[in-house]
Amino acid sequence: MIEVSHLSKSFERTKAVRDVSFTVREGEVFAFLGPNGSGKSTTLKCIVGLSLPDSGSIRISGIDIRREPRAARQVISYLPQRVVFPDSLTAREILLFHARLRGVAPAVVNAVLEKARFVAGADRPAGTFSGGMTQRLGLAVVALPDASVLLLDEPTANLDPHGVRRFREFIVQQKEAGKTIIFSTHLLAEAEQLADRVGIFVGGRLVAEESVESLQAVSRTAHSIEDLYLHYVGDEHDEP
Amino acid sequence: MKTAKRARTDAVATSPIVLIAQRELTITVRNRWTVIMAGVFGVLMLVIAWAGVAAEGFDGMADFTRTSASMVNLVLYVVPLMALVLATLSFAGDRGTTELLFSQPVSRTEVMLGKIAGLFVAIGGAMVAGFIVSGGVVLFQTGTHGIGGFIAFAVMTLLLGLIFLCVGALATMLAGRRPRSFGFAILLWFHFVLFYDLVVLGLASQLRGQSAVTALFLTLFGNPVDLVRVASLIVLDNETIFGATGAALLRFLGGPEVSVLVLVVAAILWVALPLLWAHAVLRSQDI
Repeated sequence: MIEVSHLSKSFERTKAVRDVSFTVREGEVFAFLGPNGSGKSTTLKCIVGLSLPDSGSIRISGIDIRREPRAARQVISYLPQRVVFPDSLTAREILLFHARLRGVAPAVVNAVLEKARFVAGADRPAGTFSGGMTQRLGLAVVALPDASVLLLDEPTANLDPHGVRRFREFIVQQKEAGKTIIFSTHLLAEAEQLADRVGIFVGGRLVAEESVESLQAVSRTAHSIEDLYLHYVGDEHDEP
Repeated sequence: MKTAKRARTDAVATSPIVLIAQRELTITVRNRWTVIMAGVFGVLMLVIAWAGVAAEGFDGMADFTRTSASMVNLVLYVVPLMALVLATLSFAGDRGTTELLFSQPVSRTEVMLGKIAGLFVAIGGAMVAGFIVSGGVVLFQTGTHGIGGFIAFAVMTLLLGLIFLCVGALATMLAGRRPRSFGFAILLWFHFVLFYDLVVLGLASQLRGQSAVTALFLTLFGNPVDLVRVASLIVLDNETIFGATGAALLRFLGGPEVSVLVLVVAAILWVALPLLWAHAVLRSQDI
């Protein structure tokens, strides 16, 4: 379970996240839906412990990320928004490094390479990979440690249609395995298809938490994703 | 991907610092800039060893002491630059790579120490190779006279590399993004290698007698390049080159051995303090 309570985070004069609270239950798939700059990535980074919150608390499986970051990260697997790997390392070397870092048997690496359809490119340097291959390798790194919580920041951003389909299969498999998943997206269809619940982020605030069914009902009346956001924000004006 | 049944290793886990250091070493060794810098360093060391005493009008090789003294300036210019560039490349890496690494169950301290350790082995290996090749040439031509000073000088060079890796790591953490970090690193190189001495000499020229000597002596500790320069020349029996300052240093500290010890301790502080500062910055900043 992930519990976020009154989370706020600023960057110089910009309030990136404003008093955000939510809970994600064990085995649930929760989507952060919102436009660019709405606070989705910053919230995810705070949950992982990469960004340090100004206030609020975050507990992952009961562990406070600020007090026990190492213990909390044992149960987390995180995919950054624009995952990049060192150009000179091969896919196999990257996975072996992460396997050793997380105490995963090196033999598992071959199985993960195979499942990620990376057998042919396993010994090629990452600098030669396309955006889609890099993202697939990122997902392979995420899947490697069998973590119970997956945090994925815009995981389909660089994927071609095949890659998007494989990602959806990946999420379904992980959900069946009982993983708790948060992923961020600005694609309504992606949130509707994959998530159990959706958190709508606008201007650094979590303006709504909806089940997918409720979201679908609202989205039928909206002409565009912007209309959907406006539906939740109403007449409120964002502070600068 | 179903991974629920995966077995975990029963073997004793390798320390995250060692794992990160190994990875950093691999990345650094495969980086073309490292290869170019190491190659240039090695070739210049070899050229100095060969050129030896040619400037004095006769052919042949200089012994270890003379060769080392000739290498001092090369080391003081090139090693800080190499270390600053490598530290910047590593610590101001791509955001996606950095975020993925820091999201693993390792502490920020372990990541920092692992990276510095890996970079040090890489840069140290390049320097040691340069010393071995050039030292081999000298040894083959002139024998072992002065080899102790040569080895001590090599150790000083490694210490200088470590200092500037730590300074570079700190500079990158303070500067933030990569372009600004490179600018800051180059500025630091100019400061420590060129400007500092000019400023110190300018200040000293305004002073007279003992106060000028004392000022020069004290300012020595504000620049690791000067610390290593003075310590190296003392171990190479060339302290007379410093004139009044060198004499004041030796007199004040009680002889060459104590002087070198004090200078090395000061140099070690130049490793520890930037490292502690970098650690404090890293702990309190967003990745």
